[in-house]
Amino acid sequence: MKLYQIVMKDIRRRKKRILYASLGVVVGITTIIAVLTTALAGQTNIYGQLEKYGANLMVMPAISDIDIGLGGLSLGTLAIGENYISEDRLPEIRQIADGMIREALNIEDEGDIVTIAPKLYMNTKVNGTSVIVVGIDPPEERLLKTWWRVSQGKYLEAPGEALVGAIAAELLKFNVGDRLTLDGEEVTVAGILEETGSNEDYQVFVPLDTAQEAFDKEGLVSSIDIRALCNACPTSDIASAINENMAGIRAVAVTQIAETEMGMLEKLSGFLFALAAITLAVGCFGVVNTMTASVHERIKDIGIMKAVGASRNQIMKIFFYEAIIVGVAGGLLGYVAGTLLAHIIGPLILGGVAVSYVAQYFLPSLALATLIAVIASVYPAFRASRIKVADSFRSL
Amino acid sequence: MLEVKNISKIYGEGTAKVVALSNVSLRVDEGDFIAVMGPSGSGKSTLLNIIGGLDNLSGGEVILDGKRIDSLDENALVDVRRGKIAYVFQQYHLIPSLTALENVLLPLTFGGANNGGQKALDILTRVGLDKRAQHKPSQLSGGEQQRVAIARALVNDPSLILADEPTGNMDRKTGKEILALFGQLNSEGRSIVMVTHDPEIAGYAKEVVVLQDGQIVHKINQEGGNKC
Repeated sequence: MKLYQIVMKDIRRRKKRILYASLGVVVGITTIIAVLTTALAGQTNIYGQLEKYGANLMVMPAISDIDIGLGGLSLGTLAIGENYISEDRLPEIRQIADGMIREALNIEDEGDIVTIAPKLYMNTKVNGTSVIVVGIDPPEERLLKTWWRVSQGKYLEAPGEALVGAIAAELLKFNVGDRLTLDGEEVTVAGILEETGSNEDYQVFVPLDTAQEAFDKEGLVSSIDIRALCNACPTSDIASAINENMAGIRAVAVTQIAETEMGMLEKLSGFLFALAAITLAVGCFGVVNTMTASVHERIKDIGIMKAVGASRNQIMKIFFYEAIIVGVAGGLLGYVAGTLLAHIIGPLILGGVAVSYVAQYFLPSLALATLIAVIASVYPAFRASRIKVADSFRSL
Repeated sequence: MLEVKNISKIYGEGTAKVVALSNVSLRVDEGDFIAVMGPSGSGKSTLLNIIGGLDNLSGGEVILDGKRIDSLDENALVDVRRGKIAYVFQQYHLIPSLTALENVLLPLTFGGANNGGQKALDILTRVGLDKRAQHKPSQLSGGEQQRVAIARALVNDPSLILADEPTGNMDRKTGKEILALFGQLNSEGRSIVMVTHDPEIAGYAKEVVVLQDGQIVHKINQEGGNKC
C-alpha cells in the first residue's frame, strides 16, 4: 500500500467533500475557460470575416510627390509617375501572388488562386451632378464584395450596363432601365445596390471596358484589389514581392482593419481575463477554507496516522495528494462548465457567433486548477502536519 | 528499558491551571505488565501519552533504552513510534476508509515497507481475524476492531505496548478475550503498560500502579497474578 492509495480510499468515502472543496477552483476555471473560448471564437470569427470580405492587398500606381525647394523656399510639389496601371501587368501580378501562396501553403493546383479585381475610377458629371464612376471586372468584383446585395434589377452582366449605389440612385432619381450618359457613352441602369454604409453608395459601377471606352483610358486601371483566400496567406510578403519585382506600382497589404478589430477584442478579453483571474484568486481562498475544514474534520485520522508512525512530511503529502485530486476534479468540471458557459454566452457577446469547445484548453485547465489547489493547500497541510497526537485525541 | 523520572504535566495557565501529573516516576522493564489505575481525571491517560511521546511534558525525563526521548523533535519521535513503542486505544482509532488488512499495513506503509501484505495477514491470523481482512471497521464488532488495532500495534514488532483502556468499550466476555491476548503478548516478552479503571482488569497485570490527583499513591506487585 502506498500513501496515495490511502488518500484515494479516503476520498472515495468523502466524494461530496471533495466536490465542495473543488468548487472554488471550478468557479475560477469556468470563468477563465469561458473567456478564452469566447475570445478565441471571436478571433476566429474576425479572421473568417476578413476572409469573406474585402481585399487583402491593394495595388496602386507608384506616384511619388517630390518637394521642390530652393534653399528654404518651397516651390510646391512635383508628382512623378503615372496615374494609371496598364492592364497588361495583371498576369504578372497574378503570377507573383499565386506563386507565393502556392509556395507558402504547398498547393499543387495550377488554377487561379487569388481574386484580382482591377478598377478604373473616374469623376464625371451625370445630369449635372458630380459622381464617381467605377469601371470594374463584374465577376471578380462580385467575389470580392460579398456583401453587395442588388435591391432592384440585376447585377452587371453585359457591356453598356450600369449598377448604381443606393444613395446615388436616390439623388439622381435613377430607376432600373433608365439610360444615362457617361462622357458621351450611353449606358442602361441594370440594377441598384442596397445601401452598404460605405462610399460605394455614392458610386456608379460599369464594366471596365465600358468605362475605359467612355473615358478614353483603353487598357488602363486606377487600382487593383487582390484578395487571397486565407488568413494564413503571406499578404505582406506578396506586397513586398510585387514592390520589388514590378516598377511603377505600389502594393500595400490591408491589415489595418483586422488590427483594429483585434485590438478591441483583445482589450475586451484582457478585461474579462483580469476578472477571471480575480475569480480564481477568490476561488483559491475558498480552497484554503475547505482544505482547512478538511484538516479539522480529519484531525483524528491525522492523530492516528502520526501515532502509528506517519512523519510530518507524509501527513503533508497526504494533503497535497488530496489537493491534486481536488484540482483535477475542479479543472475537469471547470473546463466543462466554462465551455458550456461560452457556448451560451458567447453568441450574445459576439452577435450570434457560434462558440464550440476548444480541446487544447483541456490539459492547461487541469494543470492550472491543480496548481491552484496545491498552492491553496500549503498552509492547511502545514497545519495538519503540526497537529500533536495527544491534542488530536483530546479534541474529540 | 523505559524509565520515567519525576515527570509533571500542567495544562493551562494562571487560574485555569490544571496539574495533571506531578512528580511521577515509573520504571518499565522487559517483560513487565503494568496496570495504571485510578479514577477519571487522575492523569492515567496523560501518563501513557507522555511515556509514548504522544504528548509533551512540563518537567522531568522519559528515558527509553538509555536515551532521553522527552526532548526529541517530531522527526526523531517518528522513529520511536515506528520501532519500539506501539499503542492500543480505547476507541480503537482505526481509519474508517481502510480495510482491516490495510489498517494493519498502515505502520509499514509509513515506515516505507513496500510488501508487508503477507506479514500483515499473518498478524491478523494471529489475532484470529484473517477471515475479516477485507472488512471495513464499520463492518466489525468492537472486539474485532480492537483486535485489528492490536494487530496494527504488533506489525512493527514493538517491545513495549501502551494500551489506554483497551477493553473500555467492550462487554465482559469480549474484554476477557482481549486481555487474554495481551497476556499472550506479555508472555512473549513484550512489556505492556495498560491504563484501566477496572480492578478486575488490573488483576491481569503483574504490577499495579494507582494514580490519584496526578500522583502515584500505590504500587502493588502481584507477580504471578495472571489468573486467566
